[in-house]
Amino acid sequence: MKQFILRRVAQLVLVVFSVTFLTFASLNLVGDPLFNIVGVLSGIPDEQCEAVARGEIEDTQSSGLNVGDCALIAQAKEQNNLDKNVAERYGIWLSDMASGDFGTSFVNGDEISDIVKERLPVTIRLIVLAQIVALGIAIPWGVASAYRANRGFDKASTVGSFGLLSIPNFALGVILLYFFTLRWQIFPSRYENAGWWSELKALTLPAFTLGLGLAATYQRLLRTDLITTLQDDFIHMARAKGMSDRHIMYRHALRPSMFSVITVFGVNTGALIGGALVVEQIFSIPGVGTELVEAVLRNDPPVVISLISVVAIGFVLINFFVDLMYGYLDPRVRTS
Amino acid sequence: MSEIETTGESRLEAISMDDDVVDAVKKKLGVGFWIAVGWLGLLVATVVLAPLLPFDDPDKLASGPARTGPSMDNWFGTDALGRDVFARTVYGARVSLVVGFIAIAFGMVVGGSLGMIAGYFRGRVDQVISFLFFTLLSFPGLILALLITSTFDRTLRTVSLTLGVLAVAPVGRLARAATLVFAEREFVQAARVIGAKHFRILTRELLPVVLIPMAALALLGMGVAIVAEGGLAFLQLSVEDISWGVIINDGRGIRDLQENPHVALMPIGVMFLTILALNFAGDRVREYFDVRETAF
Repeated sequence: MKQFILRRVAQLVLVVFSVTFLTFASLNLVGDPLFNIVGVLSGIPDEQCEAVARGEIEDTQSSGLNVGDCALIAQAKEQNNLDKNVAERYGIWLSDMASGDFGTSFVNGDEISDIVKERLPVTIRLIVLAQIVALGIAIPWGVASAYRANRGFDKASTVGSFGLLSIPNFALGVILLYFFTLRWQIFPSRYENAGWWSELKALTLPAFTLGLGLAATYQRLLRTDLITTLQDDFIHMARAKGMSDRHIMYRHALRPSMFSVITVFGVNTGALIGGALVVEQIFSIPGVGTELVEAVLRNDPPVVISLISVVAIGFVLINFFVDLMYGYLDPRVRTS
Repeated sequence: MSEIETTGESRLEAISMDDDVVDAVKKKLGVGFWIAVGWLGLLVATVVLAPLLPFDDPDKLASGPARTGPSMDNWFGTDALGRDVFARTVYGARVSLVVGFIAIAFGMVVGGSLGMIAGYFRGRVDQVISFLFFTLLSFPGLILALLITSTFDRTLRTVSLTLGVLAVAPVGRLARAATLVFAEREFVQAARVIGAKHFRILTRELLPVVLIPMAALALLGMGVAIVAEGGLAFLQLSVEDISWGVIINDGRGIRDLQENPHVALMPIGVMFLTILALNFAGDRVREYFDVRETAF
């Protein structure tokens, strides 16, 4: 077990480095970050400024420059470490980030750590709520299907879950928005956070949008595992003891049938994070997704890099803990 | 399969085997599969022939009165600018299907080759390639797509290849798993014994058998890619052309949804049927060939 954990930790560290480096490098190598700070001035060739520094040409109109242009560029470069190479900048950025300093936005100068603090909880609440919705639907649904497998209800469920899995989450979001908010006006059309009740109401539809498809995935897996478990001797034993079917299903059969659901739980969180980006757009929820899209559209690399890194690290961590939990629950995994 | 049914001896064998095997012999693709394929065929035909058919120009403004429901002139109604929603859905299908196809083709070629190399040579090569897959899967899919399309551009090619990159890891893992299993089988060992080169074994012996599970994944993956493109469109990071995602995103404003919901709901319906057909066909192919690994 100890070796298993050590190996997983090593893997985790490697993946965190490669994920953050990939993000950092791709947004730094393509495009010119300097342009976002000083605008067109970034077009001034380096040689020209070097010549100014050596005193060879005048830093005035005559050479096509404005007074102080070069000083401005030098200052911007130094402040943002743009005079160093990408690897060095990555190192500086990573150590800053580890100590909680995410830097500031190039565009509006906002502290990125404040943005993260404000936006991340909303997205986390949305994702947790979606998982609750998914499990809340999938467990009774899976149990009911497996209880009388291949009978009427189970067959209808197969069709139903197949249909649910074929609806893109944004399409489901638009459909739910249309019926529940616009037609029947059950849920608010705007995100409000005046206390937990108003937020819960605002997050219900988005959570169902994300959770319904997931519920179908979980239901399929749970059904298959339950059917296998129900063949086991201890179930016959419980039945022979005269226990009620409900008790057997929920107390005896459910727990050993959750392995597949737990395995895909981590992977699905990734899909949920992607889905949350889109669903936040539809329901105008001020989470990480809306901020990320705004940052991309206003060309603000520091914010984009930070948000993607935070989300990616969170995802890697979740999968890490799911793996650990799985190894803990099923001894065979530790050795493989 | 057909051999078993035709020769008398084998049939006896089949009967004496347990029920599962007999079921497998009797297994057919079924009517549903052909309906799904029919829908996809109809869609592809419409999309290819669109310029020849008497549809409106998808970008023509006021091709009917604005914001009207479905009618004989405009089958899916018109949007806020009076554009014909049916024509837009047909032309949107072009982009969506092309993106889906290129993405999964890229994933099959790159992911498939890498996965087969990893599964065949194993050892160091396998470790490196598996770690690459692991890293790719460590990004939440849409985030990686957003990263790539925001750093590069939003042409059809970039968006398709971006989604193709997303397909590399799942396809690659499946190819690797299948290759690992088949590389131990007698026909591969036999090829090795007669001195076949690695390249020949990989392409002539392993590729045909590994392709079967990959075909099922390709159908499912094409659906995933089409949906992912729609997701990107909702983030305004997909193609500048019209695709299903773009049309649905156009029609999802509060006012549009209230006054003419068909602008969003009609393309949603067509998209749903298409994803359903792809999923169903993929699922049937998987069951037909009894593929156990899903890698999703």
